[in-house]
Amino acid sequence: MTHAGKLTPQALQALQAALAAEHAAIYGYGIVGAMVSGADQALALTDWKLHQEARDTLEAMIVNLGATPVAASVAYRLPFAVRDAQSARMLAVTLEDGVTQAYLGLVAVTEQALRVFGALAMQPPANRAASWRGSTVAFPGMPSGSITKVLSRPGHGRSLSRGAGLTRLTRGRAAGRAPGR
Amino acid sequence: MLAASVTTLPFFAALSGCDGRDLLPGLASPPPLSADVRALFAAVAAEEDLVSLYKRTVAAYSALAPALTPLLAEHLAHLAQLRARIIEPPGKRVPHTVTSRPPVPAAPAAAVALLRAAERAASTDQLRRLNGAAPSLAQLYASIAASEATHVAALDHSPA
Repeated sequence: MTHAGKLTPQALQALQAALAAEHAAIYGYGIVGAMVSGADQALALTDWKLHQEARDTLEAMIVNLGATPVAASVAYRLPFAVRDAQSARMLAVTLEDGVTQAYLGLVAVTEQALRVFGALAMQPPANRAASWRGSTVAFPGMPSGSITKVLSRPGHGRSLSRGAGLTRLTRGRAAGRAPGR
Repeated sequence: MLAASVTTLPFFAALSGCDGRDLLPGLASPPPLSADVRALFAAVAAEEDLVSLYKRTVAAYSALAPALTPLLAEHLAHLAQLRARIIEPPGKRVPHTVTSRPPVPAAPAAAVALLRAAERAASTDQLRRLNGAAPSLAQLYASIAASEATHVAALDHSPA
C-alpha cells in the first residue's frame, strides 16, 4: 500500500470519512439491535459485525499509509428519536445510507485503486439499506440535490443528505440484502 | 472581430493557393471524442439494452410487473442522468437504439435469471469506467453500479 505521503490529502480525508461512518454505524446498530426482535435482531447483529470488519479493514489501510485512524466518538446524537422497532429500522437505513455515501466519497479521489475500493465497498451497505428499507433506490450514496433535476419520478431515488447521519457528541460530525424481506 | 477574421479567410486562402481547411484544420472534421464522452456513450447504450430487456420481460410476463417495474424505473432514471451529462458533439448522436436484444426466455424463472445476469454484467462494466473518469462521472458510475448490485439481490427474491 502506498505511504500516506504519496496519497493526496483528499484521498486520506475520504478514507477517514469512511472510517468515521463505520464508527457511527457500529454505535447505531447497538441501538437498532436493542429495539428490534426476532429475525430483525439477528440481522442487526450480523450487520453490526460486518461494520466492525469494515472498520478494521479501513483502520489497517490508514495505519499502513502511515496515518492515524480517526477514533470513534464516545456517543453520537441520533438524527431522530428511536422508540420502537419501526424507527429502529429507519435508523438502520440511515446508517447504511451514511456509510454508502462515505464510500462514494472515495470514488472521487484521483487514486484509481481507491476509487475501485470505494465503489466496491459501497455495494454491501447499499444492499443492506435496501433490505432494511424494503425497496431499492436509483442512486445509492448520491445526495438528493445532485440528481433530482433529471429524475423522471420526483422523489424517487431519494438518498439522505450528508448531514442526515449520526452526529458525534464529543468531537465534530461524523458522516452519516435483499429488499422487501 | 471574430466575424471579420472569418470573412477574410477566403481572401488569404486564395493568396496562399489552398482552401480554408488547410489554414484551420480543426474545422475540416469534428475533433475525436474524449474518453469521458466515449464512456458515456457506452454507458447510455448499455442502459438502453437493459431498459429494453426489462420492458420485453414485463410484456411477456405480466405477473412479474410488480417486482420488475420499480427496477425498470430506476434504469430509466440512470439513463436520464447519463444522457444529461452529454453535450452532443458535432457529427455524433447519443445512442437511442438498442444494440443487444436477447430473446426473453420461455419460462419466467429463466427470464429473471437473464435479468440478474444482465444486471451483474452491467454493474461490473460500470466499474471498468471508473479509470480516468472525471470525479463526478466516476461517482455516477459507482452509484449506478451499486444500484445494479441491489437489483441483483432484489431479483434473487423475485416471485419467479
